[in-house]
Amino acid sequence: MKHFDDFSRPLEYISPMDKHLRTVIRKWADEEVLPFRRRFDEDWKEHKLIEPAFDKLMGNKGLGLQKALFPEELGGWGLGHSDSTFMTSYALSEEVGRADTGMAVAFLVTLWPLTTILIEPHVNWRLAKEFAPMFCNSDCAVFSALTMTEPQGGADIENIGLLGGKTLRTTARLDGDEWVINGHKLWPTNSAGVSKLFGVPCTTKLGSSDLDDFAIIFVPTDTKGVSEGNPYEKAGMAADKNSDIWFEDVRVPSWYRAHGPVLDAQTFVEVIPWGQVASCGFLTGAMLNLYERLYEFVSTRTYCNRTLKENDAVAGVIGRIAGDIDICRILGHEAARIGDRRNMPFGNELGSEETIAKIRNIKDFISDKSVEIFGRAMDVLGAYGPDREWDIEKHWRDVKIIQLWMGGKQLCQMEAARYFFNCKTL
Amino acid sequence: MSVDLDKLFIYPKHWVDEDARSFSTTIRQWADKEIISDRLNYQQNYTLLFPEKCRKLGIDIGLKRLVLSEKYDGYGWNSPSYAPAILTAFTEIGRGDASIGLANALDYAIFATITMHPNIKDDLCDALAPLYLSDKLKTSTAILPGAGINDRKTPLFRGMSVLAGIAADDNEYVVSGENLRPFGFGKASDLLCVVCAQSSGKICLAFVPADISGVKKGLPIKQTGLDASENTDISFESVRIPKEYIISRDGAVEELYVWLNLLLGGVSIGAAMNFFEILTEWAQSRTIKGGIPMKENPLCASVLATVAQEITCARLLCYSLSQIMADPLALRGIGGESIYTIARMIGSSVQDSALNALNRGMELMGSAGYAREWHVEKHWRDIKTVQSSLCGVAADIPVKMDIARFFYDCKEVCS
Repeated sequence: MKHFDDFSRPLEYISPMDKHLRTVIRKWADEEVLPFRRRFDEDWKEHKLIEPAFDKLMGNKGLGLQKALFPEELGGWGLGHSDSTFMTSYALSEEVGRADTGMAVAFLVTLWPLTTILIEPHVNWRLAKEFAPMFCNSDCAVFSALTMTEPQGGADIENIGLLGGKTLRTTARLDGDEWVINGHKLWPTNSAGVSKLFGVPCTTKLGSSDLDDFAIIFVPTDTKGVSEGNPYEKAGMAADKNSDIWFEDVRVPSWYRAHGPVLDAQTFVEVIPWGQVASCGFLTGAMLNLYERLYEFVSTRTYCNRTLKENDAVAGVIGRIAGDIDICRILGHEAARIGDRRNMPFGNELGSEETIAKIRNIKDFISDKSVEIFGRAMDVLGAYGPDREWDIEKHWRDVKIIQLWMGGKQLCQMEAARYFFNCKTL
Repeated sequence: MSVDLDKLFIYPKHWVDEDARSFSTTIRQWADKEIISDRLNYQQNYTLLFPEKCRKLGIDIGLKRLVLSEKYDGYGWNSPSYAPAILTAFTEIGRGDASIGLANALDYAIFATITMHPNIKDDLCDALAPLYLSDKLKTSTAILPGAGINDRKTPLFRGMSVLAGIAADDNEYVVSGENLRPFGFGKASDLLCVVCAQSSGKICLAFVPADISGVKKGLPIKQTGLDASENTDISFESVRIPKEYIISRDGAVEELYVWLNLLLGGVSIGAAMNFFEILTEWAQSRTIKGGIPMKENPLCASVLATVAQEITCARLLCYSLSQIMADPLALRGIGGESIYTIARMIGSSVQDSALNALNRGMELMGSAGYAREWHVEKHWRDIKTVQSSLCGVAADIPVKMDIARFFYDCKEVCS
């Protein structure tokens, strides 16, 4: 083992774009992020250091990744009709996550609401044409957000299988050829004035659990009636801004709805696996960086006047850490492959109970392992573990956030129980 | 709902006398008034308010006087029999702020090596006590053994490298060492207690006033938690100290570790108990599945139970340690092999439990778990910083080796 690239992954799953994408993102990370990231925590409000790195990753003056999902004829890369969309997204998540998981989530969440209208077979060409210039013609980074969480229900909105969206308090009323949206959202990634476009899950009938009434409506953030709060200060992930969002009689064209009754709910269910697979990529990316930093420490410091890694007991600890990274990386790729199999004869629907349960399960497992091994790695560094110069503590703060988001651990457990034990009332 | 923490997290109250309980109640009131009820302001103005909060506790309430005998105008808690009382006090401090807990734990543990019966070192007490009790708040820190550096054979303290050296020169000692990492508060420290090695390999403690010529402090280190404990690496360029500033008796370094494990155990348990208060409020005010209070859901209840279980067991373990320390003669002194090993074992276990309580409980809080506003993440970062720093190096391996040597009479393993 000489390099973090040697951690296992099923090579037969790897997309043709994988090597090229990883090479260019790694170069970007080395030049634009790693020299600066120890100062990111203090940049959480202004993004003076972070923003130029985003421009180089997402905008046309850099790698242009924000247009990846859009069809080629609209100026994008056409990733939305690839058979390897999940696997490619995983590679992006992992490489950006290795540099900074906060940047990774801000970037991938930009693609997230767009998956509902740009991924085959649910492409909404009219909306794709409407929003393509925003993302494909910009030199700078352009962000979007999927505004899910609401004050009263936390992650209940993600539990659509049980609740059918009945806890949603953000409403959409059709008035002529416009939707009128009212509501209050919390915590979306890329809020606090970052985004140009929101995907807004809402209900057309307050208190309804009928999936016909569940809607995803796109709202440009400069629309009258949209307001956002200041960014929250968090334990980590300074590159990801979050805030309150209020919608007060916000009017958008009626065709800004993603699809319509039933299909909106279906595509919303399908965004969950995207988020979970990307989360796995962020986590294994951070793990790869942990390996790099830990390797340096255990190779240069001693215990009992022996290099740390050559002490049997310490080797037991770092061996377990490396083993867990290896296993998690295989599982993360498997989660991505489960997503890509949706288009195959032997795959399952993306919104199926089996797909959702298995992908959530993998995310839950990798999250737990991440929290555990980053904590252990910090302890191996001892007095240097909490020191930002060694980078591991930054990832330790970040991976905990990944464990907690999207309904957290308990929702993952519930989905797994429902599927594997045929639970009826959970 | 306010909870009576002592009724929930029970401990053997009869090990703590009435005066000590009253003193701890005062500290609890200090924590409630000065920190917990003003948490957001405190967090936003940490650098400014930290010294003021420390002063109130250390000087106005008199925490700094605890460890000194009446001879120095102290409160005379300078006997190991006060260990349970001291633990109670530090638990209350940790409930307010672990950084303040660490500052005082370092003070107490360092001074315990010179003020505590039966090893009172009068000449050093005479020199340091007046400075320590001056109107200006003084800070001390410890530089402990830790990671060594490749290709450099160092003297060892139980396997961990001692990077500071000390040599006699006439009536003085000369301390040297480069870029040594204090436990915390390196930047503000007025007094450094440095674990040093003599050329013979004998390990001792050197008390080095930070304003002596040759003491060089580096740039501030950004770290995970304990935000107020601004740390820095410190170098000693032929620093000369009086010969009475050295403690070379057997077991002195072990004593330092024993007290730090006890007191920082209390600090982390206190932080975890405040987290419990926050979590309790959260779990009874939040609903899931469209209307069920979180605490009434069986899965959430089981996580809540784990949090309570970890804190309860950790607290009881810490009191067991304190009571063992309270009667050290039966076990050949606080720095003896038995108490040292038990302290390291319990200290490691307590930090694990406190951190696990936070890690598990945060699972129920979603984004509120990592938002600064809820103060949970601060406790989580603080406890982790204490835990990693207490490890020294190599995770819990040095502790495991201590335990193995003690229980299995290992002769050669990592010593």
